[in-house]
Amino acid sequence: MDGRTLEAAPALGQTILRWSSRTHTLAGIEAELARIWSEAPLTAQGADGTPERRVAARTSVLNLVVVARQPELAERAAAVIRMLTGRHPSRTLIVSSADPDGPSWVDAHVQAHCVMPRADAVETCAEFIDLVAGGETGRHVAAIVAPLLVHDLPVTLWWPGDPPLGSRQVLDVLDMADRLVVDGASWSGDGIGRLRALVAIVGDQELAGGTLAVSDFAMLRQSRWREAIASCFDRPELQPFLNGLTEVTVRYGAHPGSGPGGTNLIKPLYHVAWLASRLGLTVAAPLQSAAPETGVRTPDEDIGTPMVGQLRAGRRRIAVAVVPTKSSTPAGTTLTVELAARRRGETLEVIVSAEEEAVMVRTRLDGREFPVRRFMAPRRTEVELLAETIESVGRDRVAVAALRAAAELAGPA
Amino acid sequence: MRELRLERTGKRRRRSSKEDGNPLREGLRLERVPDPHVMVVFGATGDLSHRKVFPALAQLWRTNLLPVDWMLVAVGRRPYDDETFRAEVARALEQFSRVPLEADVARQFLERIAYHQGDFADDEVFDRLSVRLDEIDAEHGTRGNRLFYLATHPSAFAQLVGQLGRCGLDHEIHGGGWRRIVIEKPFGRDLDSAKRLNREVGKVFRESQVYRIDHYLGKETVRNLMVFRFGNGIFEPLWNRRYVDHVQITMGESIGVEERGSFYEETGATRDVIQNHLLQLLTLVAMEPPATFEADALRDEKVKVLRAIPEMSRVDLERNVVRGQYGSGWVGAEPVQGYREEVEVDPLSETETFLAARFQIDDWRWSGVPFYLRAGKRLPKRATEIAIQFKAVPHRLFRDAAVDPEPNLLAIRIQPDEGILLRFGSKVPGLGLDIRTVTMDFTYGSAFSVDSPDAYETLLLDAMLGDASLFTREDEVEAAWSIATPIVESWVDAPAPDFPNYPAGTWGPEAADTLIERDGRRWRRI
Repeated sequence: MDGRTLEAAPALGQTILRWSSRTHTLAGIEAELARIWSEAPLTAQGADGTPERRVAARTSVLNLVVVARQPELAERAAAVIRMLTGRHPSRTLIVSSADPDGPSWVDAHVQAHCVMPRADAVETCAEFIDLVAGGETGRHVAAIVAPLLVHDLPVTLWWPGDPPLGSRQVLDVLDMADRLVVDGASWSGDGIGRLRALVAIVGDQELAGGTLAVSDFAMLRQSRWREAIASCFDRPELQPFLNGLTEVTVRYGAHPGSGPGGTNLIKPLYHVAWLASRLGLTVAAPLQSAAPETGVRTPDEDIGTPMVGQLRAGRRRIAVAVVPTKSSTPAGTTLTVELAARRRGETLEVIVSAEEEAVMVRTRLDGREFPVRRFMAPRRTEVELLAETIESVGRDRVAVAALRAAAELAGPA
Repeated sequence: MRELRLERTGKRRRRSSKEDGNPLREGLRLERVPDPHVMVVFGATGDLSHRKVFPALAQLWRTNLLPVDWMLVAVGRRPYDDETFRAEVARALEQFSRVPLEADVARQFLERIAYHQGDFADDEVFDRLSVRLDEIDAEHGTRGNRLFYLATHPSAFAQLVGQLGRCGLDHEIHGGGWRRIVIEKPFGRDLDSAKRLNREVGKVFRESQVYRIDHYLGKETVRNLMVFRFGNGIFEPLWNRRYVDHVQITMGESIGVEERGSFYEETGATRDVIQNHLLQLLTLVAMEPPATFEADALRDEKVKVLRAIPEMSRVDLERNVVRGQYGSGWVGAEPVQGYREEVEVDPLSETETFLAARFQIDDWRWSGVPFYLRAGKRLPKRATEIAIQFKAVPHRLFRDAAVDPEPNLLAIRIQPDEGILLRFGSKVPGLGLDIRTVTMDFTYGSAFSVDSPDAYETLLLDAMLGDASLFTREDEVEAAWSIATPIVESWVDAPAPDFPNYPAGTWGPEAADTLIERDGRRWRRI
């Protein structure tokens, strides 16, 4: 298929491929993009087989750049973006590299996907460029991306998998971006090295007066957990216990054989970090493997060792434990967040746990149980997370504070 | 998603007092789920409940924005039981849901509905209701929190409020157990009745417990109006008497009164839409920026606008208000009957189906800028729009041009095809210096191809969360009635109007054109 496609008019809300062509140079991509709109109005076949005029409009929301280092990541990202349909950005560019030691080449598919939002509206179209760069070219992502951006529109950079944060390659692309999107829970190993690099980027940006915002799917996925924890302290009689927090324990799923450093710790870390940053707690002692005398242990060393640390509020110390627990859930998944607090001789215990597609909050004050509260928390797909990210504007300072606290908790490299 | 939208539109949720001390709440804009509660819908078997309320609640349930510990008690006169009523609601959801519900989601939602049959005049019905609500609290963990929703005929409002008060269902419990009441429009039928109803409601509920709903305020484009004005730097400096020539607010409906003949006979266009929807739009266009985006700050500014509209004398009313009633005609290539031939309508009815009016706002910003409002049924198309007509350039520079550039215009389309249009002059390409009017057109549909929530979803969730920003306050309702009441009262002893005075499918009576043309202006062609 090359160029315009004549297809039947789409059903309302259904995305339809209106244009598809292939080219092998950046100039060729620009020419193809221009052709899409110079040949507008695109026509579609009406129900009776006659050409039907349908004026198409390009959406003007943002540039979405995806840098995928492996073909399978590029395919998955493309599938996610196609499912966004109604929230499609104006121009999507997926860049992946291949054959790094071979000669330089570019292979790009240029497409226009359109959707009819309403019967009385024009078709709304979004451009989609799937580009594979071979050889030396593949190492210059910024040089590929720059000429293909729609100017004056914000740029969201989604880097699935393991982004080489801190590398020249990433920093060059970030210079053009308004938002960096990552998924900390998908990082290899314990993920802590990349977390530190991410926080360093945020810090450098702030120092330079930059406007880069950062979104981490791992943090977005915890939104319902945060609501559940916060809801407990909406009770006026329990709010003062936030100033008397004594322990925070997060248990996460781990698999046999994962051993030290084998399980991604980003999600458990984010839970503690969010609490610490919201409550103004500082890190007194970063997390480290629990010594036997701490009493924090797991029955099965094969799944990794617990980490313990301390937060500080003035002279008060809050014990933190991040504990692996054998579980069939994906490794690194939060199983429970447990809080203990004391005030005027009373002890408050809050246990927030995941049960199927819900988060349960159990609260006990000096042994007296409060009614259990359940929050629906179905696992959010990458499509939903990306959609939310695309719609976000500006820097989320709560998220930034939590990121910083997470890096501090993780301690220096 | 809802809070994301709020953030995008610049409107932050007002924090309730209990949240003020909870530092964990900061930044939780996306996830706020109302407290567990029981919602009690009176008039649950009616059209409004089936078309709007239940579908909106089901969407909130589908998107996990309702608490798990939530129950709905539907109160009505008709003889249903829980099962038969759930089947009835299921049918309504199939017909009216904005997004089809998955079977499992619909089942979970329906399981949370209970039916309570009885006559609103019967004390025993409310005594039983009170007991049943306590039982639901015990069984479902709804914690004594109650949201009462009056979706009945307005004549039942006072009686219902009285019954709730008699049973103590308004009493909030210290340390938990809030009680709120949502009252549908119309809130009164004139200033006196609105005051009376406010008094009756006030005997039982505190103002902070009362949520008077005008669903227009929940519409995405209406909410965007505030963002457009106060979230953009380039428009507000022009938003005043120095640059604005006049403002037109139009609400056209192509439909007639349909099955609502008897209702419309009692209301007419002034009570049905001018007193509430159009005056609300006017306040949002004309108000000063509120100090904060909290409910009372916002409503304070709206009330100031209503109070700045001077009361019109009888002479003023004759000069500045035009009423109309449609006769037979053609709408959308279909012949339609006149109003007086509609079902349940008096063949000699003097009810107005159209109103055009010219208002002044006597304040520093708008003095001398007329606001023209018009609304009617059986107009050529369904369209609601606010048009800000700017003044012409002070100096005719392009004397050689065939025509002068038209003054700039900013049109905010509320429905359908929601969006914003800016009109300006541009040189026609060529060797000459011809000027043509062109438009920059922003449509929600193409920029954000995301389905907007229904206004009822927005408003119901706000009421559950205790956010009254988009609900009308007691003094606001009375201020609006103090503008509308003299209009309808001036007709009581006026000569019988020459009705019908506009054919269906036209933009109202000729007198409406005269009203604006007298000022050297004309209605915008929509």
